[in-house]
Amino acid sequence: MTALDRLLGRIAAPYRATRLAATLCAAATAVSGTLLLGLAGWFIAGAAIAGVAGIAAVQGFNYLLPSAGIRLLAILRTLGRYGERLLGHRAALLVLADLRVALFEQLVRRPLGAGERTSGEAAALLIQDVQAIEDRFVRAPAQAAALCGIGAALLLTLLAGTAATIALAAILAATAAAAWTAARRWLPGPAADVQRQIAELKHELVEYAAASPEIAAYGLTASINAGLAEQAARLDAARLAFARGEARLAALGLAASGIAMAAVIALSHGSLPITLLAVLAAAGASEALGALIRSFGRDAVIAAGLARLEQLAQANDRKQAAPARPAGERLTLPGTPQVTLAAGERLAITGRSGIGKTRLVETLAGWRDTPDPALLIDGQPLDAWPPEARRSLFALSPQNAAMIGGTIADNLRLARPGLAGEALWRALEAACLAEEVRAMPDGLSTWIGDSGARLSGGQRKRLSIARALLAGRRWLLLDEPSEGLDPETEAELCRRLALWLDAEGCGLILVTHRPAMLPLAATQLQMEG
Amino acid sequence: MSGTRASLLWVADGAGAIGIALALALAVSDPAANRGFYVSALILLVASGALRAWVQTAAATTGSRSAAAAKAARRPIVLAALLGVAPGSRRLLGEQVADATDRLEDMDGYHARFRPLRTAAVATPLLVAAAAAFASPIGAGILLATLLPFAIGMALAGSTAGRAAAAQLEVLSRLSGLFIDRVRALPVIVGFGAEDRITRQLAETTREVALRTIAVLRVAFLSGAILEFFAALSVALVAVYCGFNLLGLLPFPVPERLDLARALFVLVLAPEFYLPMRRLAAAYHDKQVGEAAIERLDALAATAEPERAADAVMLARPPAIRFEAVVIDYGERRIGPFTLDIAAGRATALSGATGTGKSSLLHALLGLAPVAEGRIWIDGQPLAAGGLGGAVSWAGQAIALVPGTLAGNIGIARPDADRAAIAEAAERAGLGPLIAARDGGLDLPIDATGSGLSGGERRRIGIARALLRDAPLWLLDEPTADLDEASAATLTEAVLQAGRGRTLLFVTHSAAAAARADAREVLA
Repeated sequence: MTALDRLLGRIAAPYRATRLAATLCAAATAVSGTLLLGLAGWFIAGAAIAGVAGIAAVQGFNYLLPSAGIRLLAILRTLGRYGERLLGHRAALLVLADLRVALFEQLVRRPLGAGERTSGEAAALLIQDVQAIEDRFVRAPAQAAALCGIGAALLLTLLAGTAATIALAAILAATAAAAWTAARRWLPGPAADVQRQIAELKHELVEYAAASPEIAAYGLTASINAGLAEQAARLDAARLAFARGEARLAALGLAASGIAMAAVIALSHGSLPITLLAVLAAAGASEALGALIRSFGRDAVIAAGLARLEQLAQANDRKQAAPARPAGERLTLPGTPQVTLAAGERLAITGRSGIGKTRLVETLAGWRDTPDPALLIDGQPLDAWPPEARRSLFALSPQNAAMIGGTIADNLRLARPGLAGEALWRALEAACLAEEVRAMPDGLSTWIGDSGARLSGGQRKRLSIARALLAGRRWLLLDEPSEGLDPETEAELCRRLALWLDAEGCGLILVTHRPAMLPLAATQLQMEG
Repeated sequence: MSGTRASLLWVADGAGAIGIALALALAVSDPAANRGFYVSALILLVASGALRAWVQTAAATTGSRSAAAAKAARRPIVLAALLGVAPGSRRLLGEQVADATDRLEDMDGYHARFRPLRTAAVATPLLVAAAAAFASPIGAGILLATLLPFAIGMALAGSTAGRAAAAQLEVLSRLSGLFIDRVRALPVIVGFGAEDRITRQLAETTREVALRTIAVLRVAFLSGAILEFFAALSVALVAVYCGFNLLGLLPFPVPERLDLARALFVLVLAPEFYLPMRRLAAAYHDKQVGEAAIERLDALAATAEPERAADAVMLARPPAIRFEAVVIDYGERRIGPFTLDIAAGRATALSGATGTGKSSLLHALLGLAPVAEGRIWIDGQPLAAGGLGGAVSWAGQAIALVPGTLAGNIGIARPDADRAAIAEAAERAGLGPLIAARDGGLDLPIDATGSGLSGGERRRIGIARALLRDAPLWLLDEPTADLDEASAATLTEAVLQAGRGRTLLFVTHSAAAAARADAREVLA
């Protein structure tokens, strides 16, 4: 049993009754479909013989029961199909909604750097691959039902003799086996190709969209469009190959249907009505077989997606115990001589660009997991404090001031649960952003766009600072907090941050190139390569 | 027209069905008939099955081809809409990317299956009914009579379903955008320990999407059930009619007397009468999704800027630029009006409090910001809709990197530049230490997120691009941000040297850098 199956089993448990009902509906549909055809054939053949034999035979022919049965089966088939579809989809969609979230949780809980996935790929995983499982869920009742339909047909054919039954069973089995093999040969390649080409296309689009100013500035539109058109043509070709494979698979079933009917007629030992009953049941069985073959095709296709999801599901199958948390009374930073900070102290780190200042604070804050033997927390090396543990200690405003797509309040509330509006405004005041937010039409509810792109660089920076302030951690880490700010705002920011730090008593590590920010820190560490 | 060909092939499938019915009727009609007749009936049966297999394969393939053609025709418009806006004016990038890929793919089923099947769904039943009429006009009449209530039911269910599907598509698109955004912001989410809250929020959204999808499907399945019901009913009616006719027990007089062969022929054709419509119903989801996608793509195309003519603008010499009461309107945020003059052939420093719209003015020159009011003049000529794209040296506030090498990233500024020119630009932009320190030098692999590059190194790549391009107009947005003071001063000097004689407009917050410029403008 795979990790994915376990996960699915856990999530799907509450919907077991719904899925069972869907399967029963599906079975009723398939069986009544086959019976309907067979019974109708038997009925008219019987009627024809009785009609020819004369009035006495007509009187003796029980026509009420079969004709009522035909109508009943027609209604049963309709209701069964509706129930199967609705219940099957209901269970599948609800299970899969939960699965998506569970997988996202896995993605979040994965150790840092465990997957160099781009966001586009991860989204494809959570949307498309999960959709593939949904498809499997929806089909599960139909697959069982198709077998019931075929079984019913074989039972009916028994009336026409064992030879016909064996021939029908053999033809159906051979076709199913051929289709199963063919599905694995014809479909996974093109299907994976389609997925890959779409993912690649998306990936390129995400990159190019972020670079739209460069593309416009350097007149790259035509060449990029040509490149994208090529990529798209590869996608279309893969789709065509897939459509052809699927059609050929379905064709197998169609071809088999003619052969099956011919075989049943040729081998039937029954009377004419029984032969007709058997041959039409064979037609019904072929229809059920067609559904089964379609299902084989889908199974072959989703194998790759399942493997990807399995990888993710496995990533964190075992729960780890919550790590011990450092108190953060004392930080030791590399340098000559080493710098040691006690709780509440303030340090500025300077040094030429590219020397590793950002890496240092991101490592400390547990946003990355690069080993640095010279870094100590409470006298212990970082090995003792895994990233999860360190995160409870530090609030980082990163250099790129990353935001989530949402409102200003959404982004601020990332910092800590249960933040009131008043607290948000206080942090915005301290970060010198309150005035500008107040001037925005929707205030805190202003939509800041994809990754906060609607804010200016300086605004994003200050929003990121406000968020770090709100986290209420023992240490505040600011990476280039005043980049993109004009000198007046920068000076004001420096003053207000000092007030905040005094009031809250938290420590500070500040990375900056700008002399104006230096007064914020008591000590200075000049990093050298 | 491969679309028409696919329709014709689907109609031909109906002919195959008639062949099967005929073969069955012949095979069982007369057990006393000679063996040759009997065997040829069975051969006809097998051949008709094979014919259907071939015809359906051809129809599916042909449909897929016509879908590819339809998508290819749409693609350029969608791409222009995606790439023709500055990163700042997007709502959710993931949503737009989904429009340009998933929504386009949503058209596939519509063109490949639904449209060919729609034509066939009208023609094939008529063909089948006509064939049935040869054997039993009344049987054919029964088939046709069940069609009317069926059509009414389908029309009622269909219009509701269409509206729900459009709403559904919107929600799915959002969902995809939301996941992309949250995955991209994972470091922040994890860093602040907000995993649980974000996950809960996603759980609510995905559940809502699931419930809405179920509502859409309920309607779609209802129309499916109506169809199934009439299909089953028509088989039942035909069977009962044929049976009673054969028995001679019909309670009303009919002008025909059937034999078994005729009755069987009509009975076998009865399900085939509804099959094309059942196929169409199975493709109904394709129709809903496809039509909603087409509507969305149409709306996207309508908001897109007029087609950007690549390299249409040429600057023969360093231009003078005049912003005249320019207002930029992002919908939720309006910036301006600005009026300022940028002198030709000189370096102008643009400063002002953060958020006043300095970057937006530069984007406006590229045609990437929505200018709502006012005019921009280039040497006395109004700025073309597509802006000055292709005619400038550019280093934006966020330096976008493309996956590839360092040289490739610099080289995008001038695709025809040779390696020596790229190396020289890199050197002048101060990338020398980076090239020397890392394996690969100019061939240093770079991914799109620029992992492993410091903020300052990214800036320098942007500057190197501008230097390599050496256009008559340079637009630089905070070119020395993320650099320490000494490096910033050196780089500013290098840029001003290289850009002497060009119109050079650069945004800066540094008083020292602004002091080196020929002119200073302050936005308020």
